Amino acid sequence: MKSHLALFMASLLVLVAGVGCNPSGQVADKQMTIGVSFETLQTEFWVAALDAFKSELSRQNIKMLEAIADGDANRQLEQIRNFITRKVDGIIVVPKDSKTILPMIKTANNAGIPMVLFNRPPDPSEAKSVTIVADNYAITKATVEHMVQRARKIGGKFQAMILIGDLGDMNAIGRRDGFEDVMKQNTDAIEVVARIPTEWNQEKAQAGTVNALQAHPGINFIFASSDFLFPSVISALKSTSKYKKVGEPGHILLGGFDGDATAYQMLKEGYLDADGVQDVYFEAKTAIQAILDLRAGKNVPAQIQDPGFVIHQDNLQEMSPRMWGAQIKK
Amino acid sequence: MSPAPASENSDEFAETMTWAFHQPMMTTKIRRMVGSEYLVFFLSAVYFLVLTPFTPGFCSLENLENILSSLLPLFVVSVGQTFVLITGGIDLSVVSTIGLASISGAFVMSHAGWGLAGSIWATSAGVVVMVLVGVLLGVANGSAVAWLRMPAFIVTLTTMMFVSGLAIWLTQSRKIGGLPPGFVSIGKNIGLALPLTCLLGWLAHFILERCLMGRWIFAVGQNPKTALISGVPVRGVLVMTYVISGFCAACASIIYTGRLETGDPVLVQRILLDVVGATVIGGTSLYGGKGKILWTLSGVLFLTLIDNSLNLAGFSHFVIMMVKGLVILLAAVFDSIKSRWTQNETPPVEEPV
Repeated sequence: MKSHLALFMASLLVLVAGVGCNPSGQVADKQMTIGVSFETLQTEFWVAALDAFKSELSRQNIKMLEAIADGDANRQLEQIRNFITRKVDGIIVVPKDSKTILPMIKTANNAGIPMVLFNRPPDPSEAKSVTIVADNYAITKATVEHMVQRARKIGGKFQAMILIGDLGDMNAIGRRDGFEDVMKQNTDAIEVVARIPTEWNQEKAQAGTVNALQAHPGINFIFASSDFLFPSVISALKSTSKYKKVGEPGHILLGGFDGDATAYQMLKEGYLDADGVQDVYFEAKTAIQAILDLRAGKNVPAQIQDPGFVIHQDNLQEMSPRMWGAQIKK
Repeated sequence: MSPAPASENSDEFAETMTWAFHQPMMTTKIRRMVGSEYLVFFLSAVYFLVLTPFTPGFCSLENLENILSSLLPLFVVSVGQTFVLITGGIDLSVVSTIGLASISGAFVMSHAGWGLAGSIWATSAGVVVMVLVGVLLGVANGSAVAWLRMPAFIVTLTTMMFVSGLAIWLTQSRKIGGLPPGFVSIGKNIGLALPLTCLLGWLAHFILERCLMGRWIFAVGQNPKTALISGVPVRGVLVMTYVISGFCAACASIIYTGRLETGDPVLVQRILLDVVGATVIGGTSLYGGKGKILWTLSGVLFLTLIDNSLNLAGFSHFVIMMVKGLVILLAAVFDSIKSRWTQNETPPVEEPV
């Protein structure tokens, strides 16, 4: 028993003595290191974004440390601290939410390490960070404008429907406002007859679409606030035999937002008219550039917007290399 | 761990070996070695020493502080779990208790709440409410186990589902920020969290090792029927262990909530396996009747070291999950073998009183 204790104490001593052995943990090379912490990898978008960071960082010969928080803000905090321990030159993070990220930004601030938030802005505070977000409003507006152009070419009066996201989400609000503003300017050609609150839920989206198509059989213009709602919309359209290709009689004008693999497939097969795309590659490049600029002491605005782009039947060939959903092997 | 008797020459060694095969001596030695109370502490120290040269920053002061700050709240929850496991139960609801306590406390303290924000009472009111939530959930769990005689597994599993649902429903999945700095510092400032955790650990150790209550808890875990006949208030003891577990979960919630400066209904949602795993790795038996706070500390230390080092070394989250899962599985297998040994024969290691 005593020998156990003695051994234990001895190992503790070694442990404590060890503290002095490797005080910095810094390896002597000049290659830059950037820590990238994602809250989740559960959707294709995040996987594509992480891949974009991987390839862009390796192109710039910057070492990347990767950490996935698996939906746990506490784990994310530990990962950020670990990045700081590893003395990274910058941190890029997809926060779990706008509040729990604040102590992490403060920790990075105290360590003097620049931090860039990807896709989700923080709550207002004194903590300093840069956020890269897609300009949801502008991208949606451009997408819906393209759909209206097509509608005017076809002619006649259109009945529109929008699937709205969770209104607790800034992205959903931006997309709704973009849609509504275009509608307001085109009241002569289009009337919005159905607004379906989906709360980002596929079942609600499907039930809502079925009901709306029943109440307003004349609906011929649908905008989905996110591409991931398309399977619900398609199934509702198919059940009423209204899922037709572009140019076929009875085709319903379809538009979406995100640029995912489903949307790419629908564009390729000729079912989808237009899709607003978050330019993930631009966003990744900009996030890394923001860190380099912050390190160089340059002034970087607290929020940088990704103007995105609209992909449609006419520019599909040209734009698909920049559409993240087109890069995913299905 | 005293080494096996050294032999002068090979003849004698062979003799010893033959003898060992006929006598249970050799296996007893091995059992004594692996059955050592401090095995996991040794393993932690060895792990630390072996990995230090390969893991950049592992041995830096900064990282030791990180390790400590991850270890403290996990240890606090695991202390409560130790009590429940010793009685042969399990408390799966600790994580949801942490979530509900987190939002309840944050609601009371924040601007969204009762307007206490800014007053010196905010922090104490928040802490009291959080502890109360933990204790009440413990009473509910314990009562169902003790009086309705339901299996702890199903009681605490349903509590977990109900309470985590409740926490999300109450907040509509929104986080609550703007907590008073006094409260935040309990979780953020190691200088505060460390002594408080030590105090709690010591108190738990004292109850288990030195108090009548502790002896009752072990008695219930070893054999509830015998305990009842010997005059142990079995039901009361059971309820008490769940209350302690709820209390500890609430205390951990205070630290976690402070660290993130946010009341979060899904706070540390994924640490359940870490809590049960760390307790079992330490040596507390899933079959009840055996456990120590120091063992739990060693289990938490070991698990935290694995997590931290693999994280620093840049392994992906999924690899870390796999490694941790394997280590916990090994510990559980080990526990089951040990409990079979002790069932068949007299215990290989005599516990000093």
